[in-house]
Amino acid sequence: MSRRVAIVGGATTPFGVRPTTWSELAQEVGAALFRAVPALRAEDVDSLFVGSAEPERFAFQSHVAPLAAEQMGLRPHRILQRTELACASGQSAIRSAYAAIAAGLSDVAVAVGVEKMNLPSMAEANSSMGCVMDRAWDGPHGATAPPFFAMVAQRHMLEHGTTTEALARVSEKNHRFANTNPTAQFYAKTFSSEKLLGLPVVAPPLRLGDCSSMTDGAAAVVVAGEEFVRRFTDRPAWIRGTGQYSDFHNLAHAGSLTQWPGLTRAAGEALGRANLTIQDIDFAEIHDCFTISEIVEYEALGLCPPGEGGSYALEGRSDLGGDIVINPRGGLLGCGHPLGATGIAQAVEVFQQFAGVVPAARQVPDPRFALVHNLSGSANVHSVMVYEGGGGR
Amino acid sequence: MSEPAPPGRKRPRVTVAPAPPTSVPSERPRPKVVVAPSPPFLLDFFPLQGAGQTRLSRFYDRLKEGRVSTTCCPRDGEVHWPPRVACPICHGEELEWIDLPEHGRIYAFSAVLGGAPLGMEADVPFAVGLVDLAGSPLRLFGRIVGRPWTALKIGDEVRLESYPLADGRSFYRFRAVG
Repeated sequence: MSRRVAIVGGATTPFGVRPTTWSELAQEVGAALFRAVPALRAEDVDSLFVGSAEPERFAFQSHVAPLAAEQMGLRPHRILQRTELACASGQSAIRSAYAAIAAGLSDVAVAVGVEKMNLPSMAEANSSMGCVMDRAWDGPHGATAPPFFAMVAQRHMLEHGTTTEALARVSEKNHRFANTNPTAQFYAKTFSSEKLLGLPVVAPPLRLGDCSSMTDGAAAVVVAGEEFVRRFTDRPAWIRGTGQYSDFHNLAHAGSLTQWPGLTRAAGEALGRANLTIQDIDFAEIHDCFTISEIVEYEALGLCPPGEGGSYALEGRSDLGGDIVINPRGGLLGCGHPLGATGIAQAVEVFQQFAGVVPAARQVPDPRFALVHNLSGSANVHSVMVYEGGGGR
Repeated sequence: MSEPAPPGRKRPRVTVAPAPPTSVPSERPRPKVVVAPSPPFLLDFFPLQGAGQTRLSRFYDRLKEGRVSTTCCPRDGEVHWPPRVACPICHGEELEWIDLPEHGRIYAFSAVLGGAPLGMEADVPFAVGLVDLAGSPLRLFGRIVGRPWTALKIGDEVRLESYPLADGRSFYRFRAVG
């Protein structure tokens, strides 16, 4: 059996349209991390994994791993690398830290995600988002995420009768949770379903409130091998399982659009490694880059039968008091989506939920198991991790 | 609603300013200055298409003849999209070119009403969709022109066509018919 690994602390910068550079975000999150984990000393951190999707495009900066180390005041001496998997770059950093520590190559690592997305030219930022797709074949047609996920919504509505009200219900829930999260981009903004249904259409049938935002932000966690965990916390988040699946890349191979078998496989792998089923999970942070994504994810995760994700949302079964709490942090819809930071910020939420330190309005009662999911690109890759709280294995 | 203009753009032809006359004309050829188009290469989604830039230049040559084609593998019969230089099934590199069917039907579509990439802002609003090609296993993604997005429906018939960019390159798209 491999060495046990846990997240022992973490911190998130404020997310939003920030008057900061990529490097300043890295400094901010370093300062926040050392405040949040008082026992952490820079010399303890032997390795650093930096999740950042497009610093070359958004910040004209490459070789970001040593830059992040310097900004955060770290001098890693075992493993230093950047992880890039578009929208899942942050979770990739955690998975790499986990793998290194489980293998005995690292003892205490930091996984950090940093993304600066808001540029003076929105069109240039949109091009940066477009090059996540197959740029030579899908890109010239104007493919970016909104029209792709809009087609998913269109097919889901056609095949299953899913309504715009169901989409709005997902957005309303996640924005309501974000109102409890001071680091969320939309912390101070309230969105009723009626208000969401009146916002402008971005890519039909998706409206502005169905889409996550272009966001600047950073988040970091400390990941430690079992002998080092108690140095930092008595409420760790143990990593119990991980799974990924890469299904396709060019949009020609996107299949039905409404079924995401890659997520079913990735979650099955991660849950299987933890000897758990989805019914054991108390709360999940899943990738609501668009409202329709969360609805398809309910189905692919097996929370409800295929086609019933819309009613699952409308019935409140993914809300506090329902079957499972989905996205108590506020999701990508409420918190914003700084690509490389999102997966780390989700893990910070998992750690804080287990530690019982989030505001009562979003605290899941006595959570034991949590699942984190990121999709990347056009839902062509799915990445899943399973965590266990408390002192248990 | 008018049809979106072809999203091509002119590549400026830049020449070196003539040297002031001197008593001894230089025998050396004038240096060839290569400048980036606007937007620069790495912000231009339309790919470089020449034989010096891609092994798939035949695809683009055929586009100029009005033919949208792809590769298929003679060993395992796999029809590829996009065209390839090596088969993903058998990894053979001896591939053949076939023309794609001209007709297809819309499987799903949406429209870009805002947030267009650089160089495509003037095309907004424009429709994009996934199209099942008739008699083919392929479902292609592309721009849909010829009808406003508000008048499109799933199942509508479209025709696959090539079109010229302003700088001499070509690309493909779908046109609503009927």
